[in-house]
Amino acid sequence: MLGEKAFYSEILPILFYLVFLKRNRGEGLGVIFFYCCFSWLTENFFISRLNLQIPGYVRDSGFTILEFTLISFFIYSSLRGRILRFIPLIGALIFYPIAIINFTKEQDSFDSIPASVEAILIISYCILLLYEQINDPKIIFVYNTKKFWVTIAFFLYFSSTLFLFLYARNLTRAEFDKYWTINNFFEILKNILLSISFIMKKSSKNAYPEDLEPDI
Amino acid sequence: MILLQITSSGSTVSTVLFFGTIGMLALTIGLIVFIIFHQRKVIRYQMRLQRMEQDQQKLLLNASIRLQEEERQRIAADLHDDAGPLLATARLYLNENLVNLDKTTQLQSIYNAKQIIDDTIQLIRNISHSLMPPTLKNFGLESAVNDLFQKISGSGSMNASSRFHDYRERLQAENELIIFRVIQELVNNILKHSSASFIHLTQNTSGNKFFIRLHHDGRGITQSDFNKLNKSNVGLGLKNIQSRLKVLHGQIFFEKDMSQTYYKVTIELVKEEMAGPEAAL
Repeated sequence: MLGEKAFYSEILPILFYLVFLKRNRGEGLGVIFFYCCFSWLTENFFISRLNLQIPGYVRDSGFTILEFTLISFFIYSSLRGRILRFIPLIGALIFYPIAIINFTKEQDSFDSIPASVEAILIISYCILLLYEQINDPKIIFVYNTKKFWVTIAFFLYFSSTLFLFLYARNLTRAEFDKYWTINNFFEILKNILLSISFIMKKSSKNAYPEDLEPDI
Repeated sequence: MILLQITSSGSTVSTVLFFGTIGMLALTIGLIVFIIFHQRKVIRYQMRLQRMEQDQQKLLLNASIRLQEEERQRIAADLHDDAGPLLATARLYLNENLVNLDKTTQLQSIYNAKQIIDDTIQLIRNISHSLMPPTLKNFGLESAVNDLFQKISGSGSMNASSRFHDYRERLQAENELIIFRVIQELVNNILKHSSASFIHLTQNTSGNKFFIRLHHDGRGITQSDFNKLNKSNVGLGLKNIQSRLKVLHGQIFFEKDMSQTYYKVTIELVKEEMAGPEAAL
């Protein structure tokens, strides 16, 4: 039931991005839109309805790799500090070998290790991006920026599903289905937060009151 | 991570998963809330600083307006009290009755009127010089300061000397005037309040910086006194100095000499801010 709702919630950010295309243009959110489309198309629910014969491990591993690539690219392009931008590159050097080794060796179960590594890396990137945003004097109210909401969406999603991904391989089918609810719930939350980001206006109000305009 | 996967089993997995997820969620939400509140705190602090700076600017502006008004009143008083009566007296000498008087009295009256008009011219020249010293306009800051110090020394009340070490190129005229006014204000303060027996001014440059230092052996103020006076409603002259230096993006430092005998005032300016248009090219 929640899985179905999670599937439909994936349409929300796609829809809002297209409806408010003007607001989202030039904000570096194209990659997130692409991620939303890809995430929706690879949903279990969607694939089973279309009767597509894609092996589970290919879909899971492929999704994890592409998800990591897209989010890393978003974080990399959002970071401004020259040194900080090296961190996603180093993260990629850690992630891809793990993901590829797992893809070639563990073809019978959920890609627990790459998904967990991905979650840890993305959580770190989100903290990094938030740190940079609060230190940026041009950003007065951090929650008035679209990127803040995107970061929060991923931050919440990956921190709440980290333990689920970590233990997914050790769970029985019944347990897995039971606990997958966590993933579905936070996926819905992630999609709502992404939708907020796509709906909100470009950060024009992100300024001091007129009489207190800082000299920056 | 791998270790956790190996050692976990059955209900332990469920417990770890449950508490792990809750813990991570709590951490994340806590971090987000912290970021938002911290940022609000920082913004409030920045706004307070901004407000304080605005208040300070308002104070400086008020001081400069008051000073301008005082200067106008002084000029008005000079013209009214000195030039006015002189011209009125000259008019008396040159009244309509003059044609009816004998030749000698006529000549005497004309001579007296001429004397009074000469005095008035001198008086107006003095007023004009106090507004814009001709030495400063024609020969620059170095000559004007030397002139000022010679006058002080000449009065016999104080030994004043100045030395410009590196002033080959003149600064922009309006900047020279600002610096001269600051020096004038500082010297006035020293004359009025310090009971010093000497003032010594030196000018030099170092890299991009232009320095003017004043030493005196009287009662002076330190930087903390200056900051205190600047924030209070008294110390109009000091506020005037501050607002003038602000135009040049300059700074002023008040300190006691290393030997604790002399007071030192240092005016620090950036050369590029003051150079003439030809220098900018």
